[in-house]
Amino acid sequence: MSAPMIEIRGLGKSFGAHEGLRGVALVVGRSEVVCLIGPSGSGKSTLLRCINFLESYDAGEVRIAGKLIGYEDAPDGTRRRMGARNLREMRREIGMVFQHFNLWPHMSAMRNVAEPLRRVRGLDAAEAATRALAMLTRVGLADKAEAYPSRLSGGQQQRVAIARALAMQPRLMLFDEPTSALDPELVGEVLEVMKSLAAEGMTMLIVTHEMGFAAHVADRIAFIDDGRIVDEGPPRRVFHESAEPRVRQFLQTYHDRNSF
Amino acid sequence: MDFEVLWRYAPSLLSGFGVTVMCWGAGGALGVVLGFVIALIYRLRLPPLRWLLRVFIEVFRGTPFLVQLFLIYAGGPYIGLRLEATTAGILGLGLYSSAYFAEIFRGGFAAVPVGQIEAAMCVGMKPIDVLLRVTLPAALIAAVPPIVNMLIVLSKETVVLSIITVPELMYQMQTMAAETFTAFDAIFAMAVFYWLLVESVSRLGRRLESRVTAFMAEAARQA
Repeated sequence: MSAPMIEIRGLGKSFGAHEGLRGVALVVGRSEVVCLIGPSGSGKSTLLRCINFLESYDAGEVRIAGKLIGYEDAPDGTRRRMGARNLREMRREIGMVFQHFNLWPHMSAMRNVAEPLRRVRGLDAAEAATRALAMLTRVGLADKAEAYPSRLSGGQQQRVAIARALAMQPRLMLFDEPTSALDPELVGEVLEVMKSLAAEGMTMLIVTHEMGFAAHVADRIAFIDDGRIVDEGPPRRVFHESAEPRVRQFLQTYHDRNSF
Repeated sequence: MDFEVLWRYAPSLLSGFGVTVMCWGAGGALGVVLGFVIALIYRLRLPPLRWLLRVFIEVFRGTPFLVQLFLIYAGGPYIGLRLEATTAGILGLGLYSSAYFAEIFRGGFAAVPVGQIEAAMCVGMKPIDVLLRVTLPAALIAAVPPIVNMLIVLSKETVVLSIITVPELMYQMQTMAAETFTAFDAIFAMAVFYWLLVESVSRLGRRLESRVTAFMAEAARQA
């Protein structure tokens, strides 16, 4: 049996005296969609950023398809930082989408997608352009290929960012609050793209505040509070039958705020 | 206003204007290049080198340009550096402005949103590609307005070169004023020349800025 796509055990990370993550365990299987929810400052983003080692961790392990990321375990049991080259190779397989898109403002939508293909995958200009256009078409933005990010709406920028990540043909995708910076009417177009990705069998780990989306698309929900996973399970159970008072309280607040 | 005198001295005034533009251009170019190199080395985070560059920047920003120029031109021979007045003037302008340009480029690098660099790391770009494709273009775009501003300031600093007998505009004006006792005419003509120079520089600068503004707005929004 092959290893799960993401396997996290005993993950710990502290920022000075503050403990950001305290013994997190989480497994995401191939083609599984898992949504991380929880209050702000609970460690959701930190957890996500540990998975591609944008954030280093102090304890435990994160394995991608069975391979430890960020560190190398020597036979004598000691652990040292992974070499930069190996880390880059692992990161190529992990797509990441940020809250603030992080497109490169001096490049057109097309070049934002094509540039990593050329620099990292070694495609020539024509091949990169062809694949970039195909990816932009995939997210419904073929007609915006030549537009610079400043000429695009937030929703369009985020779709370009998704196309940029997808073009690298990653084995899994991480989403860090992909719709939190968007106007409400632009959220839908981004969620649609994510839904179709899930339907195609992409492995996805999503930090989100879109409870409706999480309820419909996720195979599992993990609720994080104060650096720990407090509850985890199918959306129906976590959203409606959680025994955890912290989860119920969070969802109640959320429900109150969104009913009118 | 004695236009006849101005007309008579037009050749020397125009040649002075030419020398001014040349010194400004060469000194500014030297300053931009040197400042950029300093900012790049500064980024390497090598403590002794960083400390040295810091001292260089503080000295050249902290002392009057006039003093620096004298030290280079009059003090240079003591360390075997014997320079033509014009060469010393260009070197002085270059060193003086490089301290400011270095700080401008350093600010440009600091203005690149960290998320844009993270995005490049996430797709697995090599550090050299991150620098050349992402950090550098964004840093340069952010640096354009302060660079233009510094170049304008520098164009007016060129008058100081007259002190070490560089035959630039100020020097020619003073010669004319002394020979013809037309102080007011000289000063008036000088104001016109420098205004023309500064105005053309800032026009060029505005065109350059408007070309990068679209990206700038975006960079600011993402920050």
